[in-house]
Amino acid sequence: MCFNLSNQRNNLRYAERKIVIGGEKMNGYAGKILYIDLENEKFEIVQLENPLIFGYIGGRGFNMYKLFHETPRFVDPLSDANNLYIAVGPLDGTSFPGAARVNFSGKSPQTGILGDSNAGGAFGPELKYAGFDQVVLKGKANRLVYLFIHDKTVEIKNADHLKGLDVLKTQNLIKHEIGDKRVQIAAIGPSAENGVMFSGIFCTGVRAAARTGMGLLMASKNVKAIAIRGRNPVTVANPDKFHDLMQDMNKRIKAHVEYEPRLRMGTTKLVSALNQYGALSTKHFQFGRFESVDKISGETLADTKKIKSRGCYSCTLPCSRIYQTNENVRGEGPEFEGLAGFTSRVGNDDLDFALEAMNLCNRLGLDVITATEAISFLMELNQRGMITPTQVDGLDLSWGNKETIIKILEKISTREGVGDVLADGVRKAAEKLGVGTELVMDVKGLDIFQADPRGIKGYALGLAVASRGGDHLRSEPSFEFSGDSEESLRRYGTTKAAFRLEYEGKGKLVKDYEERSALADSLDACKNTVVNMEIINWKDTAEILRATTGLNFEAEEIRKSCERIVNLERMYLVSLGVSRKDDQLPKRFLSEPMPDGAGDTSGHIVELDKMLNEYYEARGWNLNGIPTTEKLKELDLL
Amino acid sequence: MYKLRVSVEKINGFCDLPMKVGDYFEVEGSAIIVPKGSKICLWALQSMMPFFPAKQRAKDDSNDWIPMTSRFVCPDPNGGVIFKIEKVDPKTKKIVDDGNSNADKFLRIMVDAEKCTGCRSCELACSFGHERMFSPEFSRIKVYSDEETGEDTINVCRQCGNAPCVEVCPVDALSKNELGAIILNEEKCVKCGLCAKACPFDAISFHFDKKVPLICDLCGGDPECVSICPTNAITFDMLKEKL
Repeated sequence: MCFNLSNQRNNLRYAERKIVIGGEKMNGYAGKILYIDLENEKFEIVQLENPLIFGYIGGRGFNMYKLFHETPRFVDPLSDANNLYIAVGPLDGTSFPGAARVNFSGKSPQTGILGDSNAGGAFGPELKYAGFDQVVLKGKANRLVYLFIHDKTVEIKNADHLKGLDVLKTQNLIKHEIGDKRVQIAAIGPSAENGVMFSGIFCTGVRAAARTGMGLLMASKNVKAIAIRGRNPVTVANPDKFHDLMQDMNKRIKAHVEYEPRLRMGTTKLVSALNQYGALSTKHFQFGRFESVDKISGETLADTKKIKSRGCYSCTLPCSRIYQTNENVRGEGPEFEGLAGFTSRVGNDDLDFALEAMNLCNRLGLDVITATEAISFLMELNQRGMITPTQVDGLDLSWGNKETIIKILEKISTREGVGDVLADGVRKAAEKLGVGTELVMDVKGLDIFQADPRGIKGYALGLAVASRGGDHLRSEPSFEFSGDSEESLRRYGTTKAAFRLEYEGKGKLVKDYEERSALADSLDACKNTVVNMEIINWKDTAEILRATTGLNFEAEEIRKSCERIVNLERMYLVSLGVSRKDDQLPKRFLSEPMPDGAGDTSGHIVELDKMLNEYYEARGWNLNGIPTTEKLKELDLL
Repeated sequence: MYKLRVSVEKINGFCDLPMKVGDYFEVEGSAIIVPKGSKICLWALQSMMPFFPAKQRAKDDSNDWIPMTSRFVCPDPNGGVIFKIEKVDPKTKKIVDDGNSNADKFLRIMVDAEKCTGCRSCELACSFGHERMFSPEFSRIKVYSDEETGEDTINVCRQCGNAPCVEVCPVDALSKNELGAIILNEEKCVKCGLCAKACPFDAISFHFDKKVPLICDLCGGDPECVSICPTNAITFDMLKEKL
């Protein structure tokens, strides 16, 4: 048994520093918002007010409120005036299982609309312990810096020596520099520094807030990393009640039918599940099943590469893992997106290679979904003879070519050759290359995940209407896998919403799940438990938030806050010109039936229009996708 | 526990190492400390070794690796032969010490870092159980993770037999209870920090406000960290039946 002796010494050092807890200490919330003016190196602390709490709960809700009200609507996403908002929810830092997430938001450089992404790990809770519910980065530092936020103090430190370092090296070096292994760090990689549109922010190792280019937004502010260390305890209003509620919740998690598979495989269980459904993104969505699925499935990963489970802070269902390849390379991950991205989507059947590519993608600080879209897009163009070798630096673009996959990642990160073209995003790359714009698998400029919408109609609708572009996590309507007709009838007035290939009820389903997802993102808890496993309902949430905060949360009011968040986001998009015409899917899913060999998904397209109509109606929006004045008034948004 | 000082008193014959009269070494806890420039004969040491633990101990302690100074185990791993040494009064022929004093079974916190997920739920459970607040700073158990290699270390009191923290405390603020847990008497504590220095596992940290040491008290016999651990990386158990 090896004990690290240096750590405790650090505790001694910190123990000497007096903790100042402000008079207005709240329960659950830290009660403070920190504004950092990077240009003038000044900071300001603002009290968190009740209207924001009741109206928007926390995390994503807080960020969306600020994005809507404090960021100029038509700002250039890469200009100094585009603030980066970082927020956590009321449960971060408590023992609520998996309430460890943190949202990064701003206007997206990648899509030009709403930017928002969240990550697990332990950064979120540490931010709460440092005494803040939200941190706002304003302006731009005049040199490359990293921030060290600890106990209501902000240090702006020189980061010249971190320039160009990958996300893990950056984090390790900062930990070493600060001399405390428990510092939590969110860092960007070389991709963001080099201006890649789809670069993310990586917390606690490789926990990525990768979507919508929040890494580039941070890079545009000359901030390489944010280090956090806090010693302010998080208190709850009714400790006994809270304790009982958590015990009950942990019992429900352990008794859940998904407990064992999630403990074993986490989200990677979806590879074989979706393959079975005939809806696994295969060779850039040309097929619904991957012939070599058994070599690269979540089951195979768990059986042959997994060393042990890895969990986010406070999680009692640790679903990530530490893997070890045949070459003894170790690392954390991958999630479903990374695993399917570097296997079926790009036609690779070598699991060790997929892990290696994932590791590189993370270290460079890239969003794995867009990165694998870029690679698979080029491979399909090549397969169809639509691109010449000179356009792609002579790379061999046959499916699954390992050398090419690695080279494209590196080229994107350094913006070299074809990488420079891809670094602006796949849609812009297609425009520059002059081919294949109809083959770009995105919605509103954000590339879609590793499942084929033709086999999962609810998800298809969710992708079309998601407020941050082609994104499954805004709704995650996993109920359509359940087959529970009775519950479907009770919830959505039709038995069909419980079946993935049906259309009826999907509008209501997606509306409902968008609100559940908004809840998870605003509590900054995990969607696996809160949304997919439905461990808590609105009533439970109210009970938990009352015990946590002592404030008078009501179930229906919380649901309404989540509906408000979705509508506020929609209004942000509407004011940027988004309407029904943008709530679309790539042409392939609407017009090319899924080929044979994909089980009952074969022959399916997505009939989007009828689902959109039902969705808009359920939302109280007009048929053009614009919220009605009645709905906005009902939600106190007008 | 006594410190032992072993020195060469006299050499009647011939030592070819050579050991010299006055050469010495010390035994402190489980460490053999040989003064710089000095040495100790392997053969001599081998013959003396079994007696050191027995000589060191002021009293039996059930949490000690050798809980009874009256028993020895044959080192053959396939043998597992246990020898009991009883003291017999030469006059009455009665056994005066059967070596069973203080020989109750005991449990201790055991950790398996190979199973640790780095979730730190144990820290939260510990903090909340003791202080009714959530802060890793209040936790008696601490987890450190290396994100790059996936290695975790779990640091917590192991309920040492003849615990050095208890022995070093100058005001007797620390004591052991019937579970083998170290209990702090906050009233007596003068916050000197000697216990943390003495801890061989570096498992003692300090309350950032009250400055008193934070030491695992086994939660009265049902440790919260053990109950919450999702992968049983922390157990309240015995490695195997001892002796």
